[in-house]
Amino acid sequence: MTATPAQDTPDAAAPDQAARQHWIGVLARSRRAELLPHEAALRDADYQLIRAPEIGMALVRGRMGGSGAPFNVGEMTVTRCVVRLADGRTGFSYLAGRDKAHAELAALADAHLQGARRAHWISDLIDPLARAQDLRRAQQHAETAATKVDFFTLVRGEN
Amino acid sequence: MSTSLATQSLPASLLQPAFADPVLDAQRSFRAALKALAGPGVAQSLLATQTPPHLEGLAAASHALCLALLDVDTPLWLAPTFDTQAIRANLTFHCGCPIVSDRQNARFALLDDSQLHDLSGFDLGNDRYPDQSCTLLVQLPSLQGGTQLAWQGPGIETRNHVSLPLQEAFWREREARNDFPRGIDVFFVAGSELLGLPRSTQVLLKSQPANLQPSRGAA
Repeated sequence: MTATPAQDTPDAAAPDQAARQHWIGVLARSRRAELLPHEAALRDADYQLIRAPEIGMALVRGRMGGSGAPFNVGEMTVTRCVVRLADGRTGFSYLAGRDKAHAELAALADAHLQGARRAHWISDLIDPLARAQDLRRAQQHAETAATKVDFFTLVRGEN
Repeated sequence: MSTSLATQSLPASLLQPAFADPVLDAQRSFRAALKALAGPGVAQSLLATQTPPHLEGLAAASHALCLALLDVDTPLWLAPTFDTQAIRANLTFHCGCPIVSDRQNARFALLDDSQLHDLSGFDLGNDRYPDQSCTLLVQLPSLQGGTQLAWQGPGIETRNHVSLPLQEAFWREREARNDFPRGIDVFFVAGSELLGLPRSTQVLLKSQPANLQPSRGAA
């Protein structure tokens, strides 16, 4: 999946693509409450909805242990949206769940991030979101790690 | 997956909005298509409020039919007139339909009147699955102005008189490929109007009325 899209992208665009993958990932993991403070700034541009926010299903597949044979985990709801700013930049979003307003804001953020004020949006929006997500992830790992039980056998009394 | 890859190679700046209300507008267009095939020769018109915004090269009704009928399971064949970047980008984005270069693999085909002298290659379905034939969407400048022909068959009480601006070659092509239950269904589209011609409709051509309709009411 990662290899195929890279084919038709020139090498110069590769860092751009990686950066965009990063911010789209951060936006996808963000919470609506975290985007709402930026709502006014995000909507402060003429834009039209190319694809109004819509809810659908996506099949999640996984591999046992990360390397086994693929199997279908189940279906989840996904909301997607595409917006176009007046200057032609097009923003896409795909989010887990059914929050249409959130999807629209995330798509607007993607569009803004492709413009001249990228650095501003990265430092203002993406970096704080990424830090909050890292924190949540670390917390969850710590909580999960505390419940881990290591089984081992000192001596088996068979001999 | 194929959808996202297909749209990726075309610039996102070509994309434009589709139906204002994706569910209801698609249902209204589908309903119009259903009525057009159920009553061959009677024009159905779509209201301006339920057609999508103008897409360069496509009539309003063609665009609406494409959005209502096409999806990932319906490969589309485009006549050269319609094979533009804007049409490709928007149909693959909004419908997710694969666009094929080979007529044989197409479930739907979008044609203009320059293509109608040759309908070879389109799938006519087979005796077990006649429904798998290719459906033609033919965009015309107008649905009137040609020679008046009488249509009869299922869905028509007596006869419908239709004067589509078509060459005789089209009717010969259609006749040659009509092998009921196999055959081709056609939607003729002009502006925001559409008109259906299912394979079951008999079209009485002036030159050969005796073959199809002996003596009875030769108007």
